[in-house]
Amino acid sequence: MSSNVQFLDPRKSQNNEIDSILRNLMNIQGVSAAAIVDSDGFVTHIHRDFEINTDAIGASVQVVFGAAAKAAQHVGHHLTNMVICENNDGYILSTPIDAGFILALVTQREALLGRVRFELKETIPVLKKLFTSYLAN
Amino acid sequence: MHWFESQLAQLDTLADDYLSAQRQPAADIVNVSEVTRLKRAAFIDAVQALVDKVVKIKGVSACAAYHDGLILAQSAEASNMDAFGAIIQETIRAAQHGETSLDLGEIEQIVIVGAVNKLAMLSVGPIILCISSPKGVNLASVLSQAK
Repeated sequence: MSSNVQFLDPRKSQNNEIDSILRNLMNIQGVSAAAIVDSDGFVTHIHRDFEINTDAIGASVQVVFGAAAKAAQHVGHHLTNMVICENNDGYILSTPIDAGFILALVTQREALLGRVRFELKETIPVLKKLFTSYLAN
Repeated sequence: MHWFESQLAQLDTLADDYLSAQRQPAADIVNVSEVTRLKRAAFIDAVQALVDKVVKIKGVSACAAYHDGLILAQSAEASNMDAFGAIIQETIRAAQHGETSLDLGEIEQIVIVGAVNKLAMLSVGPIILCISSPKGVNLASVLSQAK
């Protein structure tokens, strides 16, 4: 466990932990990419096991999430906590973190949706705190 | 305590450890994040290990774990798992109405017995463990005698 390591720069340790979280998400069966996208659609952190156009996926995730959030508002559902795109060959799940940042996961079809969703739901509160601290430093 | 009870007790302990890790003060968020992640992984790995063991027990036809009706862990041989998830979600919701109105307390187990098969649902921490078998199988007995 690397928790005994004291980093001099808190941002660096927070950045390392964000990377560890993405690596952990990649360990879930069927997950092929885990990315954090900023409010402009740029990918700030990514782990993936296949070639991916990061600019395209970042922009697409923001557009899809934005559209879903608008739809939710139109029907009075208020905040959007997660958007799941079910595709022919897999899923794309996106969840808001903080300050417009979004965590996006790309999975293969064989991924267990409950497992991925559970992990996302449990990860987001910690990521929110990490980002709050990260952005404040 | 028989084999299955001890397995459930272990899972409960791991689930409690995970919940405790989540409740840690967030002053050192990096360490809290790491500890929480490791405890969650330990719990999920134990759930998957139990599912893999239970499905090998003679008389058990399928075993899977669900969260909010979606599959979290399943045995490789399982089929119709999505349908189980839907049934579980509906059943748990109905049973939860009885929690307060019938003073049942938190729901721990639900068993549905059909003319052909039966389905046991057990609440473990944030997940529901689901075991199915032919109607004639005494699930309590086969689970208690397993090793």
